[in-house]
Amino acid sequence: MQFSRVMTRVLTAGGLGALNLSVTAHAFAENRNGPTDGSFGLQRSVTPVMDFIGKFYHWGLLPLMVGIVATVTLLLLFIMIRFREKANPIPSKTTHHVGLELAWTLIPVVILFCLAIPGLKGLYFMDVVQDEEMTIKVTGNTWYWEYSYPDLLDKVDTITSTIVDIPMEEKHGANGKGLTHAQIVKIIEARPAGEPRLNGRPYLLSTDAPLVVPVDTTIKVLVTSNTNTHAFSVPQFGVKIDAVPGRINETWFKVKEEGTFNGQCSEICGVNHSFMPIEVKVVSKEAFKAWVDNGGVFPAKYSQLNLGGTKTAALK
Amino acid sequence: MVAGYSDTDIHNYDGKPKFFARWFFSTNHKDIGTLYLIFAIVSGLIGGYLSFMMRMELMEPGMQVFENPHVFSMYATMHGLLMIFFLVMPAVIGGFGNWFVPLMIGAPDMAFPRMNNLSFWLLPTALICLIISMFLPGAPSGNGFAGGWVMYPPLSTSGHPGPAFDFVIIGLLAAGFSSIFGAINFITTIFNMRAPGMTMHKMPLLAWSAMVTSFLLLLSLPVLAAALFMLFTDRNAGTAFFDPAGGGDPEMFQHLFWFFGHPEVYIMILIPFGIVSHIISTFSRKPIFGYLGMAYAMVAIGVVGFIVWAHHMYTVGMDVDLKAYFMAATLIIAVPTGVKVFSWLATMWGGSIRFAIPMQWALAFIFLFVIGGVTGVALAAPLFDTAVHDTYFVVAHFHYVLSMGAVFGIFAGFTYWFGKMSGYLYNKYLAAAHFWFFFIGVNMVFFPQHMLGINGMPRRIADYPDEFAQWNQISSYGAIVTLVGVAFFFAWVIEAFIVKRPAGDNYWGEGANTLEWTLSSPPPYHQFSKLPHVD
Amino acid sequence: MSDHVVEHDYHILPPSPWPFLAGLAAAVWGTGMVIFFAGLHARDGASPMKEFFFSRGMDMWGDAKVSSGGWLILLLGVLFGAYVMFGWWRDVAREAEVGDHTPVVQIGLRYGMIMFIMQEVMFFVGWFWMFFEFGLFRKVRAAWNGDVTENPQAYLDSLGTNAGGNTIHSIGAWNLPFINTLILLLSGTTVTWAHHALLKDDRKSASTGLGLTVLLGFFFIAVQAVEYREAFVNRMTHGFWLDSNIYGSTFFFATGFHGLHVLIGAIFLFVIWIRLMRGQMSSKQHFGFEAAAWYWHFVDVVWLFLFTFVYVAFAL
Ligand code: HEA
Ligand code: HEA
Ligand code: CUA
Ligand SMILES: [Cu+2]
Repeated sequence: MQFSRVMTRVLTAGGLGALNLSVTAHAFAENRNGPTDGSFGLQRSVTPVMDFIGKFYHWGLLPLMVGIVATVTLLLLFIMIRFREKANPIPSKTTHHVGLELAWTLIPVVILFCLAIPGLKGLYFMDVVQDEEMTIKVTGNTWYWEYSYPDLLDKVDTITSTIVDIPMEEKHGANGKGLTHAQIVKIIEARPAGEPRLNGRPYLLSTDAPLVVPVDTTIKVLVTSNTNTHAFSVPQFGVKIDAVPGRINETWFKVKEEGTFNGQCSEICGVNHSFMPIEVKVVSKEAFKAWVDNGGVFPAKYSQLNLGGTKTAALK
Repeated sequence: MVAGYSDTDIHNYDGKPKFFARWFFSTNHKDIGTLYLIFAIVSGLIGGYLSFMMRMELMEPGMQVFENPHVFSMYATMHGLLMIFFLVMPAVIGGFGNWFVPLMIGAPDMAFPRMNNLSFWLLPTALICLIISMFLPGAPSGNGFAGGWVMYPPLSTSGHPGPAFDFVIIGLLAAGFSSIFGAINFITTIFNMRAPGMTMHKMPLLAWSAMVTSFLLLLSLPVLAAALFMLFTDRNAGTAFFDPAGGGDPEMFQHLFWFFGHPEVYIMILIPFGIVSHIISTFSRKPIFGYLGMAYAMVAIGVVGFIVWAHHMYTVGMDVDLKAYFMAATLIIAVPTGVKVFSWLATMWGGSIRFAIPMQWALAFIFLFVIGGVTGVALAAPLFDTAVHDTYFVVAHFHYVLSMGAVFGIFAGFTYWFGKMSGYLYNKYLAAAHFWFFFIGVNMVFFPQHMLGINGMPRRIADYPDEFAQWNQISSYGAIVTLVGVAFFFAWVIEAFIVKRPAGDNYWGEGANTLEWTLSSPPPYHQFSKLPHVD
Repeated sequence: MSDHVVEHDYHILPPSPWPFLAGLAAAVWGTGMVIFFAGLHARDGASPMKEFFFSRGMDMWGDAKVSSGGWLILLLGVLFGAYVMFGWWRDVAREAEVGDHTPVVQIGLRYGMIMFIMQEVMFFVGWFWMFFEFGLFRKVRAAWNGDVTENPQAYLDSLGTNAGGNTIHSIGAWNLPFINTLILLLSGTTVTWAHHALLKDDRKSASTGLGLTVLLGFFFIAVQAVEYREAFVNRMTHGFWLDSNIYGSTFFFATGFHGLHVLIGAIFLFVIWIRLMRGQMSSKQHFGFEAAAWYWHFVDVVWLFLFTFVYVAFAL
């Protein structure tokens, strides 16, 4: 990546919250999925929970953070100029001011109180599973995910979802220098038929067998693990929940639109923690039904939905 | 009979011993403080090296530096442990605490000078254990322990069967006992050895911060020790504390760890608070604003710090009401901290400010700590934390409070007291270069990580989707700038010892009015043989 | 160099080799711990400690021989540590003799001991926390715990043969443990008796009282040893040993660490007893005695908690 591009980033990085807001808004406009290079904001929301989180962040936390940092910084700068040795040779000796001390104790209390209310509302909304229409079971393994459909056991069997990648050793060229991401993608795409390809899907986020769920359906997710602790996380759903051996955690999501959405394991789980992505393919209710009746494979009618068929906008 | 000393020596002893006895058998709080600082610098270098390698790996997608992701995670883990247990804690408590708490409260030495030295000599042992662990079999996938500095089971039990992690446990236990003995020592010193006339409410803020820190250590570390024992026996004696197969629960370790872990973060920041308070007041030539408020704000932070631990565990599947409670409790901490920040501003208000190097570090500390603090408040809300937990947003948060909060506090104190400790003055320009490179560097490293986290980049990953490339690259360039800063740090220290510009008793002049400035620089080997009177 | 006339009563010490040696001892001890328990070779999940106890097959270098090196290093470490402690405390005693422990220094020592005991208390808080979670609140936990609500039977089974309900075959509270309770309570009174005698400079009954306390202390340990032995021989049939299930683990480590502290306390008292016989304790100055007594009472109280919760309440 050439330096000039980086330097422009350095400059924008300097820009604080105000800029931040606008840019995120802009990032939202184009509705792409997955992370965005050089983005300032959250990934685009596709569930009610993530909507809530987004609102909470943009109209609650971000202004709060920017506001407080700005206040303190401006005060600091003003003091540094107004009361520098030259401008103010004789220091005052005041060391108390009850009014002030009360103010800066109580005002934060009030602010935090205002912050807590939506925070709690969102928390309960997020945490309490609304009446679910369907249940899926997610199981973390070292180092891949398993998805099963308890309600459809007889129809669809467990999906084993592994990353599409090349073996670790091959990521190092003969000269010991690591391959660039572009080179790695080329190797993967050039694979013989039958072997998993990226087919234009994002590197390190794509799997050979995604989780398939219907759109506009409240889905209860039961999460557990066979070995080590993992975390099932899909940023665009506002879902992140640890997969702990010996216990079953639950969360839920209801996706508003079709498409392929990605996440990554979010709890250190050993050597391949970086390489156990989560890929969720959200399809129309009909397509899903067809998929189920067809035993976990899309019939000809929906063939474009078969692996890699849909291109995520995430690719440039 | 103490080896090599006659009874009369034991009785009333004074004067510098020979080199070996002085530095290995020391019972002098200033010498021990110096040992601590040197130790911290060494660990800082190793920890800095580890982080630099991580940044180089993360410069672009794909694996460049590390052949094996396990090794990357091992670097991250060791980096975290070294920086926290072997850089910040020894520097602030053992280093500045040892040097200046006795001086500031007008005591001739610590209460238990011999135990003080034990606290130090347990640390090299601990450090060696951690270093050794890097080269012993850890997981099937490689050497060393790579489970993150939080050491969650089962990754730290069945996930790392090799002896590497057993050495980490032993090392952390040694470091833990070192800190516990240190805490006992400081509390006793502060309660029992204040100069006549120095009531608790006249005691300098550094001493207050050291006292609160000591209580946090005393009450939180034993719980960590218990948790580490449990890990050890789960690994080696077949117990089932954290093993679901035997009815245990991995989540319990997280509770025990964070019951220590959260107080730990205030252990690392309170003494920098104290240091910064003194510097602000010195260079504004103004007494501290709202002294009592400042002192009791720290007490409040310490107390509340014990009831917020599970804000690190919002995603483990806790009961929702618990999450609600821990959110509320966590938010409260912002209030006393705010009191401190605003009191610093008020101290400067109306003052006559000189921008000496220590003051630059202190001002930067306030600015950067507030950034780290408010991101902390954002994380405190489970709703938002679900989006950014275990992403780089968290990494950004805690580096703003640690690598910029605690470490800036350390550098502030180091430049402030360097003359007092060594007797030499530093070169302004080299020291300024150190500050500016470091300031720009760390901001370049960690500000972009906020964006990465918000956009969903998980932490502890050796390779990342190329959508995260740009911010990571800036971050890595920042690490190089930081490195230059560290180089300038050593430059000015070494230069000062070569050129030897003598430092006066009180080289900061009016405004620096705590007791250490009434002594020569460096202070006599045994100060206050005649106790000072405070009124 | 400051003026040599020292006008304060604080205790300025000469350099001492003990702390440095203690650091070394810790290193040897720690290395011994690891090599003895874990060995230095990469191993699978299997636990050498278990092998050592039950099949005497802990191998250090991969071949199935009984560990050789671990023993030695650990033993050396312990001896080294003991030597350092002996030398260190002998110095302290000497300093007390030559009158370095002025009133203010003695106050300091008191603070020190109190803080040390606080630290010990927090250590046990850790173990009690574990025990309460699993031993007493297991039903409450279960209610929170997804997998229990999912299928409770599997959960109960996961707790080991007889750990689910109250059927667990732990150690009855009202035989040996109850005797131990009486022993400790009695020892509490004898040590107080000794203290009062000492205050009245009645050296003779002081030493009797203290001597009795020490004996009771070791008696306690003997009884606990019997108790443990029973559990050990029946571990297969009763399924109650430190590696049987979580209850075994918490039980044996909570009571075990307490037993260890009883041992330490008893040795402490024994040393004080010797110093008493040597006439090193006066009604004026006997802080060593008080420290030992405080520690003993602390151990006593911990036991009362253990007895009430781990033995009595748990069996309810
Ligand atoms: C020096 C260390 C330090 C300090 C001081 C803090 C301070 C705080 N931290 Fe942080 N924290 C860490 C070190 C620290 N933290 C570390 C190391 C981790 C990660 C551990 C790991 O997982 O590896 C972590 C993680 C962490 C998490 C878990 C994130 C996650 O894993 O998902 C949370 C969540 O609540 C949190 C919260 C806070 C809060 C609320 C504060 C507060 O104390 C901040 C208070 C300060 C301010 C708020 C600014 C000043 C105040 C004002 C100007 C007044 C006005 C302000 C308001 C009204 C808001 N921290
Ligand atoms: C005090 C704590 C501290 C400090 C100072 C730092 C400093 C730095 N850290 Fe880190 N870091 C952690 C604590 C700290 N860190 C922790 C706890 C983690 C989590 C680990 C885990 O995931 O388990 C972490 C993780 C972490 C990550 C994430 C790894 C991952 O999740 O994959 C990264 C990546 O960029 C990183 C980078 C850096 C960099 C570039 C610096 C640079 O700022 C380094 C620059 C060099 C120095 C600051 C040293 C200079 C100081 C001295 C030479 C001594 C001076 C002493 C005296 C004057 C007495 N750190
Ligand atoms: Cu699975 Cu991290
Ligand atoms: Cu915390």
